[in-house]
Amino acid sequence: MIAYIVEALTVLFANRVRTGLTALGLIIGVMAVIAIQTMGAGLAGATNGIFGSIGDRSFFVIPNVRQGDFATAQIKIEDLLAIKNSIPGVAEAMSGNNSIRFGHIGHNRARLAIGSEAGDPFNTSEIAQGRRITQADVDSNASVGILTEAARKKLFGDLDSAIGKQLRLGERRYTIIGVFAAPKAAVNLNFGGGDFVVPYTTYDAAYVQHGSIGAARFLLKPGYDPQTTEDAIVKALKKLKKKKADYITLDKRTLTRAVDGFFAGITLIVSLIGTVSLVVAGIGILNIMLVSVAERTREIGLRKAIGATKLQILAQFFIEALLLSLIGCAIGLVLGLSIGYGVNAGYLVRLSGVIAPIPWLQASLVATGFATVVTLLFGTYPAWRAAQLDPIEALRYE
Amino acid sequence: MNNSQAIELRNVTKTYATGDLEVHALRGVSFTIAPGEYVAIMGPSGSGKSTLMNLLGCLDRPTTGTYTLDGTDVAGLSDAQLAKIRLTKLGFVFQGFNLLARTSAVRNVALPLFYAGIAPKIRNAAAAERLVEVGLGARLDHKPNELSGGQQQRVAIARALVNDPAVVLADEPTGNLDSQTSVEIMALFQALNAAGRTIIMVTHDPETAAHAKRTLVVRDGTIVDDVLQKQRQAIA
Repeated sequence: MIAYIVEALTVLFANRVRTGLTALGLIIGVMAVIAIQTMGAGLAGATNGIFGSIGDRSFFVIPNVRQGDFATAQIKIEDLLAIKNSIPGVAEAMSGNNSIRFGHIGHNRARLAIGSEAGDPFNTSEIAQGRRITQADVDSNASVGILTEAARKKLFGDLDSAIGKQLRLGERRYTIIGVFAAPKAAVNLNFGGGDFVVPYTTYDAAYVQHGSIGAARFLLKPGYDPQTTEDAIVKALKKLKKKKADYITLDKRTLTRAVDGFFAGITLIVSLIGTVSLVVAGIGILNIMLVSVAERTREIGLRKAIGATKLQILAQFFIEALLLSLIGCAIGLVLGLSIGYGVNAGYLVRLSGVIAPIPWLQASLVATGFATVVTLLFGTYPAWRAAQLDPIEALRYE
Repeated sequence: MNNSQAIELRNVTKTYATGDLEVHALRGVSFTIAPGEYVAIMGPSGSGKSTLMNLLGCLDRPTTGTYTLDGTDVAGLSDAQLAKIRLTKLGFVFQGFNLLARTSAVRNVALPLFYAGIAPKIRNAAAAERLVEVGLGARLDHKPNELSGGQQQRVAIARALVNDPAVVLADEPTGNLDSQTSVEIMALFQALNAAGRTIIMVTHDPETAAHAKRTLVVRDGTIVDDVLQKQRQAIA
């Protein structure tokens, strides 16, 4: 057996150009499938990174825009209070939107999205300087807030510390108490994506117009099941509004599941395309192997004349095809993983702050599987043809 | 039955069925060749000479009759058994050399031993020994495209000898060579025969056949003449 592998490798190496061209289709096919798999793993990691910013105990409830009486279904400030008081799992209830204003520091001016936040322990973003919003800030409607690093840079540049400075936002003034650490992920869904985050009580008093809030954000008390609480809130809202009012709930799990499902769909489609390309590559191998058998007819005749049996010829050509497939798939595997990892490390990491681990095992299994299937499907017939050749005819073949 | 013969054919016939037509390529051929003989088989094309060569080479089976090669009756053997006979008892030299391209002389010569399941070191050593024997000791690692026609045929002869066969079969061994090189190859065959090798050579060229000790002439599927070279010279 080892002798056959050595012999096959010798033949493949002696005919490098033929070997390379035959393996090329397989290399490209496997490369595409593995690269997409790796990127898929990266995307899944990115999704988790992005939605991780929501936190495990935070969720949104929004009225479905596709309903007849949308106006009646609108959630009001007083609804939030009613829910907070009546449903045991709800720790805090607040607006889930943000509001755009221009912020002024001296002569510096920047367009800021104002978001809202409850006190610890619901905060999920890291603080770089200063302090977080506390329960006392929330209880007293304090005019304080935390800037994101990006907003701080716009207003203060690299000059002095922002902590304790007064920020003018429209008619209101806020004391800056902290700066968030620059997020690892490009997308942050917390605080309604705000640049300046104030206690939610302050926000609700200052920026909620006519008592109507678009999206409501709820924070869950520890130990309560999110699903049960979400259901109870929707039920309560329907009771407050009207029976037919329709609401959508969004939490980390449902968002992640939705996006994961979406990527799973993409991965499936691309894998199907990849499979088609591998079948095409396999037919290419079949064709080249058949041409190779025809081209090597005299050689096969000679091998038989000097005493090779049918079985030996069959084994030799089959092992050649198998090694060719394995080499092609191995190269495709390395290239595919490199491309996938390159995309993950160069691009997807910016979305989530996390580089997905390389799916070594999965990718190797896929590549080996393809090599085996391609060989069985497309390598067996040429090998059989070679074994069946009549040595007399084969030796006379021009 | 004389078991000491290298080759013994008795009433061998070969019939090919091509459509409704039956072609009688051989119509009852009987002869024996003793070990150490050097025999040329001559005949015009279509005479049955190639069919006879294929039978002698165990590439084909007779339709009727018996063929005993080195004490083994090969007429009724299976494909795999015939392959084994070719591997152990026969050596082939072809008109077109039939060397593996892009493969060194040593590896070409060692090829039969690969199919015999012999370890690489041993088979390469044996191959190198044979190449020295045919005068190519300095070109062990040369590939066919780096060798002249005569040298390539020497590699092919070394390959035919590597399994120490009972009979060496040569099919027009000088057909692709110029006259000077042909003389050298013929000299090599004569040297091998002088060393005790049994050689059967198919040729249509009387000059080439004249190097053999005995000539069988085939015509219309039968042996029409069987002369020793000495007799032929005596007649001339």
